[in-house]
Amino acid sequence: MDPECARLLPALCAVLADPSQAVADDTCLEKLLDWFKTVTEAGSSLLLLQENPCLVDLLTHVLDLKPQNVSPRVLSFSLCLAGTFAAQEDCFEYLQQGQLLLGLFGEAGPLSWAAWSVPIVRSGWIRGLRSLAQHPSALHFLGDSGAVDALFSLQGDSSLFVASAASQLLVHILALSMQGKAAGSSSLQGSAWPACAQKIVDHVEACLCSTAAPQVTQALNVLTTTFGRCHNPWTEVLWGQLGPLVAHLLENEPIPAAHSLVDLLLSVARSPVFASADCGLWETTARMLSCLSPSQAGPLALGTLKLQNCPQALRSQAFGVLLQPLVCILRATAQAPGPPGVLDETTEGSSMTVDTLLSSKSACVGLLCQTLAHLEELQPLPQRPLHWPQTLLVEAAVIILKLCEGSVAPSSSEGGRLCGALAGCVRVQRAALDFLGTLSQGATSQELMLQVFAVLLETLESPASSPTVLKKAFQATLRWLLDSSLPPSSLDLGLPAPLFLKELFPVLQKRLCSPCWEVRDSALEFLTHLTACWGGEADFREVLLASEVPKLTWQLLRDPESYVRASAVTAMGRLSSQGLQAASESSGHLEVQQGLVGELLHILSVDSEGFPRRAVARVFTEWLRDSHADVARDTEWFVATVLPMVSRDLDWEVRAQGLELVQVFLAQTLGQSSPHCPYVVTLPKASPPSPLPEVLRTLCQLQVFDFAFRALFDCDRPVAQKACDLLLFLKDKTAPCSGLQEPGESSDVTSVEATLQRWQAGEQGQPLSTLEPKEVLAALRSMDLEGLQSRLAESSDHVEKSPQSLLQDVLATVAVLEENVADCY
Amino acid sequence: MGAGQDVGRSCILVSIAGKNVMLDCGMHMGFNDDRRFPDFSYITQNGRLTDFLDCVIISHFHLDHCGALPYFSEMVGYDGPIYMTHPTQAICPILLEDYRKIAVDKKGEANFFTSQMIKDCMKKVVAVHLHQTVQVDDELEIKAYYAGHVLGAAMFQIKVGSESVVYTGDYNMTPDRHLGAAWVDKCRPSLLISESTYATTIRDSKRCRERDFLKKVHETVERGGKVLIPVFALGRAQELCILLETFWERMNLKVPIYFSTGLTEKANHYYKLFITWTNQKIRKTFVQRNMFEFKHIKAFDRAFADNPGPMVVFATPGMLHAGQSLQIFRKWAGNEKNMVIMPGYCVQGTVGHKILSGQRKLEMEGRQVLEVKMQVEYMSFSAHADAKGIMQLVGQAEPDSVLLVHGEAKKMEFLRQKIEQEFRVSCYMPANGETVTLPTSPSIPVGISLGLLKREMAQGLLPEAKKLRLLHGTLIMKDSSFRLVSSEQALKELGLAEHQLRFTCRVHLQDTRKEQEMALRVYSHLKSTLQGHCVQHLPDGSVTVESILIQAAAHSEDPGTKVLLVSWTYQDEELGSFLTALLKKGLPQTPS
Repeated sequence: MDPECARLLPALCAVLADPSQAVADDTCLEKLLDWFKTVTEAGSSLLLLQENPCLVDLLTHVLDLKPQNVSPRVLSFSLCLAGTFAAQEDCFEYLQQGQLLLGLFGEAGPLSWAAWSVPIVRSGWIRGLRSLAQHPSALHFLGDSGAVDALFSLQGDSSLFVASAASQLLVHILALSMQGKAAGSSSLQGSAWPACAQKIVDHVEACLCSTAAPQVTQALNVLTTTFGRCHNPWTEVLWGQLGPLVAHLLENEPIPAAHSLVDLLLSVARSPVFASADCGLWETTARMLSCLSPSQAGPLALGTLKLQNCPQALRSQAFGVLLQPLVCILRATAQAPGPPGVLDETTEGSSMTVDTLLSSKSACVGLLCQTLAHLEELQPLPQRPLHWPQTLLVEAAVIILKLCEGSVAPSSSEGGRLCGALAGCVRVQRAALDFLGTLSQGATSQELMLQVFAVLLETLESPASSPTVLKKAFQATLRWLLDSSLPPSSLDLGLPAPLFLKELFPVLQKRLCSPCWEVRDSALEFLTHLTACWGGEADFREVLLASEVPKLTWQLLRDPESYVRASAVTAMGRLSSQGLQAASESSGHLEVQQGLVGELLHILSVDSEGFPRRAVARVFTEWLRDSHADVARDTEWFVATVLPMVSRDLDWEVRAQGLELVQVFLAQTLGQSSPHCPYVVTLPKASPPSPLPEVLRTLCQLQVFDFAFRALFDCDRPVAQKACDLLLFLKDKTAPCSGLQEPGESSDVTSVEATLQRWQAGEQGQPLSTLEPKEVLAALRSMDLEGLQSRLAESSDHVEKSPQSLLQDVLATVAVLEENVADCY
Repeated sequence: MGAGQDVGRSCILVSIAGKNVMLDCGMHMGFNDDRRFPDFSYITQNGRLTDFLDCVIISHFHLDHCGALPYFSEMVGYDGPIYMTHPTQAICPILLEDYRKIAVDKKGEANFFTSQMIKDCMKKVVAVHLHQTVQVDDELEIKAYYAGHVLGAAMFQIKVGSESVVYTGDYNMTPDRHLGAAWVDKCRPSLLISESTYATTIRDSKRCRERDFLKKVHETVERGGKVLIPVFALGRAQELCILLETFWERMNLKVPIYFSTGLTEKANHYYKLFITWTNQKIRKTFVQRNMFEFKHIKAFDRAFADNPGPMVVFATPGMLHAGQSLQIFRKWAGNEKNMVIMPGYCVQGTVGHKILSGQRKLEMEGRQVLEVKMQVEYMSFSAHADAKGIMQLVGQAEPDSVLLVHGEAKKMEFLRQKIEQEFRVSCYMPANGETVTLPTSPSIPVGISLGLLKREMAQGLLPEAKKLRLLHGTLIMKDSSFRLVSSEQALKELGLAEHQLRFTCRVHLQDTRKEQEMALRVYSHLKSTLQGHCVQHLPDGSVTVESILIQAAAHSEDPGTKVLLVSWTYQDEELGSFLTALLKKGLPQTPS
C-alpha cells in the first residue's frame, strides 16, 4: 500500500466508525471496496491487517456499536470489507480468532438486527460471504453459521438484486463444497454428498416438489446457474437425481415456471458434461416443445437449434415450432404453402398457434415479433437447419408487411382478423423489415425478388410509414439491392435492380424532402451507402443523374438540423468522389465542383454545430487520400486553406481530424512511415517523394508545424496525442536531414521553445513567429516527444482516480457534508 | 433499478395492466465503469427487451435521467419506441455528445457509445407535445404535463384502461426566471411516482439566494477579481445568465461577462425554438425583446482568460473535470481575489468535488500541485420541488398511493410519514432492486344498449347523473368488449330460445272438503285480501293471481289434508312468496 494511503487510513476508519459522521455518497464506499480488493489481490491480507490495525478496529467497532447506531451503508461496507479480507485462509483464521466473522455473518449478527430490513445490508452480507467463500475453512464456517439457511430464504427477497445474489451464492457454495470430490458417479450416490452440498441439493429437491410456483422458480434458477457454471462430472449425478423431478413438472397444467424451465433445459444441454450422454434430456425437451404455448416454446426452439449435438428429429421439431406462426399466416392469407416437407412437420400444434395469433391483437403482435426475431438470429448461424425454407420465409415476411400496410385483403375469416390485428402495427413492421433484410443473403427467385422490391417500395412510399419504419425499410432495401446483383464480374446489375431503381429514386427524392429530420437523414445515409457500392455502375449512374437526388442532397447542406447537414456533407463528398454531382444546364461540371468545395469550406468555417464540421473534415481527408481531382489539382492550396480553419475549431474532434488530414498529406509528400522491423520488405515507391529540405519549407509555409505544435498542448488529450504521433513521424523522417544544419552552426530555437513553453502553460493566445525549417528541426530534436507520448497515453483523470485522491475526498467531505445537500447535476 | 433511495441514475420499471414501461434511463456520473449504467439484465430474464418493454419514457435531458439511453438502445439492443418532449429530443443529444466527448477525450474510453449511436438512438424517439394523449398501442396511452425544472422537462401520465401512473421526473412547483411551475390536473392516478430530492427542505426564499449570488459576484468584480461559474451547456446556466444580465443592466456595470463559445448560440437557438415552454413573462416580452439575447454576455475565447482586470465567465463542464472550465480554473486558482461559484452537484473525483469539500492543495498531472487561493462558493440553483411543493402536487393529483424516488432514504422516510398522515394514502419508498406491488380495483366499462335504456326511461325513472341506479339486463362479453342489453335482445343476438322458469311450492292445509270447494275458498279469500290484483277462478278449478297459478289437490295418503300447489314465474317472485306465506297461515274459518 502506498505510504500516503497508509497514513490516511486510520482517519478514514475513524470517520467510518463514527455514527455521527455520514459519508457523502455511495460511490465513495464502492470505490474504497474496489481499492481494497486490488490491494488484497496483490498481497497478503493478513499482513495488511497487521500493519493497519485500524481496519480490524473498524470491524470490531461496527459490531460493538448498538445495531441501531450503525448506518446501513457503513454496515454493508464493513460486511463486504470483512469478506474481502477473509478470502485468504490465514486472514480468515485471524479474523475468526476474535469471533469477528461469526459476529458479522452468523445468526446473532446483522440477521437479527433491525438494519437487516434495509436491502443494502442484506446485499452487503451476501457480497461479504461471496468474497470469503474461497477455501475449506470458509466452507465449515458457512455450514456452522446458519448462513446457508438464511440464503434459502433470501432467494425470495423483495429486492431482485438480493434474491439473484443469494441464488448465485448458493451455486458458488455448492461448487466449492464439491471441489476435489471424486469424479465417479458411483461415489456420489446416496448420501455421499458433502454436508453443505447435501443440504443445498435437498433444498432444491424439496422446492421442485413444491406446489408453490416461486419455490419451483428458485430451484430451477439455482440449477440453471449450476449447470451453466460447473462442468464437472458431479453435475451429471445431480441431473440424474433431479432430472426426473424436472420432467415431472411437465405433467402439471399449466406448467409452472415455464420460462425458468426452458432456461434450465438449455443450460443442461449446453453443458459439455452432457455432450455424449442422453440422460433423458432430449425426451424432456421434445415433450416440452410440444406442450408449451407457442410464445413460451419459441425461446426453447431457438436454443435447441443453436445446440451442436442435438438429435435431428428434435431439431426438426424445434424448427417446426419456429416456423409455425409464419406458416399459419401464409395459410390464413391463402398463400401457396411452400414446399410440402416443411409444412408436414409444422401441422402438429398449429391450432394452438392459430389460437394465439387470433386471440388478441397484443398476443398476435407479440408472437410474430418474437418469431421474426428468432429466425433473424438463426439465419446467419452455421447451426441453422440445412433445409432453410428461404422461399417460404421471404413470402411470409412479404405478406406480413402487406398485412401491416393493409394492402392485402385475405378472403378467409382468419385472414381478415389477422389483417385487423396487424394493420398499421409499427412493431411488427419493424421486426419484419429487419428479418427481410437478413433474408437478402439467400437465393431467391426473380419473381419473388420482384415481390420483395414491390413491398419495400410500398413501405417507402406509404405516407403512413413512421420514421423508424422508413429507416429499417431503407436498410432492408440496401441489403436486397446489394445482395441481389449478379456476380461482380458482370458490369450490369441484376435484372430486377435497374427497374427497381427507376421506381426507387422518385421515392428517395420525396423522402429527402420529408418534414421529419430522421427520415431525411436515413435517406441520405442510404444514398451514401448505395453510392459507395454502386457509384461505378452505369445503370445506377444513369438513374441517379437523371433524378433530382444530387440537387436535393446539395440543398440539404443548408438543412436546419445539424445531423442532416452532416449526413448531406458525407453524401455529397461521396457523390463528388464518384463524379456524380448534378451538373445543371447553366453551370458546367467544374463550376459545380468548385462550388461544392466552397460550400464545404463555408460549413467548416461557420457552422455552429460540430457534426457537420466534423463531416467536412472527414470528407476532405478522404478526398486527399483518394487524390480527388479538385484536391490533386492544387494540394498545397487545399491544405493551406483547410488547416487554419480546422486548427482553430472549437470541437476537438475536428482538430483531431485536421491532424489526420495533415498525416495523409505528409505520407504523400514524405512517404509512408518507415517500418521499424528490419526484415519487412518495403515496396518501391511509385513516385519518389520530393527532396526533404523543399518539403520542409513547404510545410513551414503551410503552417503545418504551427498547427502541430499548438495541438501538442491542446487541452483535449486525443488532439495532443495525435499531434505527438505526427511530430514523432516527422522527427523520424527528418532525422537524415540533420545535415541541413551546417556543423558548428547552432540555430536559435530559444524563441520557439519559449513560445512552446508558454503554450504548455496554457497561454495559447501567444503567436508563434514564422518558423524556418532549421528551427523546426532543432525544436523537434530538443523536445522529449517520446516522454510526452507515454504521459499522454495515460488517461487524464488518473490522478483524480487514485486511491489517495479518494481517501482525501472522503475525509474532506465529512467536514462540509451538511452544507452541500444532495442535488442533481 | 435506479433512483431508489438515492440520487444517482433514474431508471424505474412499471408494469401496469400487463404493459411494461421504463421510466427514464439515467447514468451515474460518479462511476467510470459498468456501474454508471443500470443493470438492464434485471428487466427480464426471459426474451428480448424489445418484446418485453412496451416503451421507454424520458422525463428530461439531464444525464442522470437520459445518459444511459444510447447504451440501452444501441449497445444492449432495445429497439422499441422512446418517448420524450420536443425540447428534450432536441437538447438530449447535445448533452450526450458533450459527455461522450469528455469520456473519450479525458478518460480515453474506447468502449463507449459513439456519435453515430447517439444519432441512431435519437431517431427512435417519438416526440410528444404537452397535454397530447399519445396512443402507444391500443391499450396503452401516455400524456405529458409541464414540470418546470429545466426546458422541456415533463411529468408523464401512463394509462391502461382505468389504471394509471403519474411519473413526475424532476419538477419545480415555483416558477423561476425563465420557466414556469409544474402542473398536473386532478387525474387521480392509481400511483404517483414523485421525486423527493428536497424531501425535508423548505427552501429559503429564492430571492434571498439570488441576492446572495449577485452580491458575491459583484463584490469580486468590484475588487478586480475574476469569477468562474462552471455550468453544463443548458439548464441553470440560462437562469443565471438572465439573473446577471438584469443585474448588470440595473447597476450599469461594464465588467465583461463571457459564456463558453458555441453554447450561447446553441442555447439561444433552443430557447427561441421552444419559447412556449418558458414562463409567461418571457413569452410576453419575447416580441419586444428576446430575454435570451443578452446584451452584456459575450462569447468567450480562450485568449480572454489571460486578459487583465475583472470578468465573469460561464464555462463548461459543470464539475470542473475537463475542458475549458478546468483550464480557466487552473489559471485563476492561485489568486485570492478571484472566485469560483459552483451552482450544482459534483461527483467524487472531480476537481469541483474536491474544492467544494475544502481541499486547497490539488495534485494535478505530472505531480504538479495546484494551490487554490481563490474563493470557492457553492450555491445550489437546481430547480426541485421542496417538501411543500411535493405535498402540493400530491394534493393536486389526488393519487390512490404515492411512491417516492430520487432522494435520500432518511429524508424520504420523513416525507413518507407526512404524506400518509395528511392524505391518508399509502406511500412507498423502495430501494434499488426492490419491487412494490400495488393491488388495484380496475373498473371495466360496459356499454348499454339504447333499447334497454329507453325501457328504463319509459318506466318513468329519469336518470340522475350522480345517483347509482340498479339496472337489469344481460351482460354480453364478446371480442373483449362488454355490453348490457335486454334479455330479449340477448336472445336474438345469440340465437337462443327462451325458457320459462316456474317455481312451485306446496302448501299443506288441514281440510276435509273437496278440492273444488277448497279452490273456491282460496279464491274468495284472495279476492278479499288482494284488492288491487287481478284474481280469477278458472273453469278447470284453478285460481290465478296475475301469473301465479294455484291448484288444490287431495293428499295421496291423508284424505284430511289438502295440498295447494302454488306456482309462479321468476318475474313474480315477490308476489309468489307473499301468496305462499299468506296461504301457509291457513284460510279464514267460514260458517259451514
